[in-house]
Amino acid sequence: MIDPINFVVFSSILLLIGAYGVIRNKNAIVVLMSVEIMLTAANVNFIAFSSFYNDLSGQIVALFVTTIAAAEVAIGLAILLSLFKQRDTIELDLLNSLRW
Amino acid sequence: MSSNDNQNSESDLLKFISLSLAVSLILFYFSTNGLADDFVSVAWMIPVFPIISFVAILLFGHMDSRKGGSFALAGIGLSAVFSLAIAYDVLIQNSLHGEYVESTRTWFSGATYSFDFGTYVDALAALLLLVVGLVSYLVIVFSTSYMEEEGDRQVRYFAEISLFVGVMLGLVVANSFLLMFIFWELVGVCSYLLIGFWYEKPSAASAAKKAFLVTRVGDVFLLMGLVILYSTFGTLRYSELFDNPEDLAANATELKWATLCIFGGAVGKSAQFPLHVWLPDAMEGPTTVSALIHAATMVKAGVFLVARAYPLIVHSPDTAIYIAVTGGVTAFIAASMAMVMYDIKRVLAYSTISQLGYMFLALGTGAWAVWSAAENGIEDHAQGYTAGLFHLMNHAFFKALLFLGSGAVIHSVHTQDMREMGGLRKAMPITSAAMGLGVLSIAGVPFFSGFWSKDEILEAVYHNSEAEGVFGILWWLALLTAAMTAFYMTRLWMMTFSGPENRVVEEMVESKDHAKTGNWVLKSKTIKSHAHEAPLAMTVPLMILASLAVFSGFSLFLGEGFGSRVYYGHHADSESMIQWSILDHILTSSLTYLSVIVGLSGVTLGYLFYKRDSEGQTTFSPAFVESFAVTSYLHVFLSNRLYMSKFFDWFGMRTWDTVARACDWFDIYIIDGIVNGVASASQFFSSQVRKLNSGFTGHYASLTVGGLGAIIVITRIIMPFMGWSL
Repeated sequence: MIDPINFVVFSSILLLIGAYGVIRNKNAIVVLMSVEIMLTAANVNFIAFSSFYNDLSGQIVALFVTTIAAAEVAIGLAILLSLFKQRDTIELDLLNSLRW
Repeated sequence: MSSNDNQNSESDLLKFISLSLAVSLILFYFSTNGLADDFVSVAWMIPVFPIISFVAILLFGHMDSRKGGSFALAGIGLSAVFSLAIAYDVLIQNSLHGEYVESTRTWFSGATYSFDFGTYVDALAALLLLVVGLVSYLVIVFSTSYMEEEGDRQVRYFAEISLFVGVMLGLVVANSFLLMFIFWELVGVCSYLLIGFWYEKPSAASAAKKAFLVTRVGDVFLLMGLVILYSTFGTLRYSELFDNPEDLAANATELKWATLCIFGGAVGKSAQFPLHVWLPDAMEGPTTVSALIHAATMVKAGVFLVARAYPLIVHSPDTAIYIAVTGGVTAFIAASMAMVMYDIKRVLAYSTISQLGYMFLALGTGAWAVWSAAENGIEDHAQGYTAGLFHLMNHAFFKALLFLGSGAVIHSVHTQDMREMGGLRKAMPITSAAMGLGVLSIAGVPFFSGFWSKDEILEAVYHNSEAEGVFGILWWLALLTAAMTAFYMTRLWMMTFSGPENRVVEEMVESKDHAKTGNWVLKSKTIKSHAHEAPLAMTVPLMILASLAVFSGFSLFLGEGFGSRVYYGHHADSESMIQWSILDHILTSSLTYLSVIVGLSGVTLGYLFYKRDSEGQTTFSPAFVESFAVTSYLHVFLSNRLYMSKFFDWFGMRTWDTVARACDWFDIYIIDGIVNGVASASQFFSSQVRKLNSGFTGHYASLTVGGLGAIIVITRIIMPFMGWSL
């Protein structure tokens, strides 16, 4: 049995990588991908503790998270597509008209 | 409209009136049949009928051929029959023996209080029912003809006047000060509506507003008085207040302020000095309204209120003297102003103010007499009380007569300026005769009604002057007022009715070559009189009122006499109350002859000065007045109504302008300063904070992550380190 601290450290690293991607990247698709990485970090935690406590609820929640992530990506990509049609770009630095 | 149509509509009207009166008599018979002969217990129905007809006129008035007049005649006719029956029962049959009958229901109640509504009928209420019921019915009959030219607007007129009659009767029979106050305010509203009947005329609209606001000043005092009464005695019901004289005597100070405030309400409603300014302007309404509301009924509400509060007033001599002084002063100054007015209705308006002052003088005198008698340990009846209410009744009849007569004149000649009248005697024989009787009555010519009551008042005041000096001065004022009254009423009649029918007036007109030479020429032109006698619906009420004006004074001697029914205080069989001894007393007293001489000299002077000669000119022309510095100054002073209105305007401008400026400053610099300061501070703060909203996704994400990190650092590292816990 692997010590759960390893999973927690691993998922924290994943989460920080995802957060870094969201903050630093200018390409909207990469940002979406980074969000997926953050969700995966959460999933790793769910599944790890599910097997550690021998409780299936964690795995079920992980399935839900995956489903919702898929739906989110579908919507996100649809938004990005229509954004591209309108503005000819998906560079987030150029899409800053919703501000003060 | 041909004369034939006229005749038809007139006979229709007469048929309708007799029919409605017959129906009301039958209804009355049935409604009282089960109650033995206790008419008084149906008193609650009296105010209800006109209010029903008010609603009916609003809903169905347009369908009526008389535009609501039929409903008003029916509703007010019913009330009049019931009122007269109660007056007959109480005043002639003496069914109450000086007591009262009260019926009451709970209106609303709480743990420690309860308010009732109901009726309270005694001799005073019966007298007022007689006056209001009778006069308002006659005025309604008069108005069906007088207001005919108004067309569809009659619906509004009849609705408002029905409501007025209903609430006025309600005011009279109410059983508590609270209920009375409600009706009191409603009466004020009706007065406002009716003064402003021709609201498209700016003068009428502003007169209505003025009347409403000025009487409101008095109403605030009245409300204050009622609050004092309630907080002192815990009730506003007449019977509970009046039946505990010991309790009243124990709270003399509160009672003094309460009665002064209540009298303040009467000052407003009855147009006494200094709140008299609204009544002359109220003449902007239709003349029938002036007759009903501003002469015969509503302005009597103040007198009624003082008479009703008599058991309270007799405990505070200060209030009694204040009432008497206000009444005497008002009577004098209003009579002096009436002498110089040229508008026929304004003369009558000032005369009304003056006569109301007479009534207050009498009531105040009587209350003071009762108080001083009680101080000396003897019981006395209040002669002033009887005299004042006797004058109230007589005045209601002859003043309604004079107003309706002037209405018939105005209806006929379409002007209110007496200088443009004259010579109407031949054209309007019935009106001029009826008004002549009214003039003789108000002037105090012996054996007409005004003579008896005026004499009683003067005697009551003189009687008091031995004990208190101020009443001596008031007696002189009242005597002078009597002379002036006789003078200006004779002047009114002479200017209106005497002289030739057609007359020649001379006036300066521009000559034909005026543009070149600027010449003026004297041109005479003949004014042809188109005056005609008023229709039957107008003359019949005049004749009834004229006979009342002549004979109502004799009610002093009818049966056991007026004073044995309407009195306050000790009554029993005191000598002075037996009718023949009164007559004996009046005819042998030197005071009577003094007042007769004063009255007759007033009439003679009025006749000599204002009789129109064969050319229609009065002997006492305006030029005559202006030829003397003193008289011309006096004339201007009186014509400007003692500059009272101007003074009020000036005073109002000065005080309220200052207050308003202070309020304005406070508003701009303090209130607005706070509001604007808060606004600009938050504007500055938000203008800094909103820069966080940069529009870059990365910024938001890093803020989120940074915030999360900050929360983790604070809760997991700093707080355990410092020993805090959530």
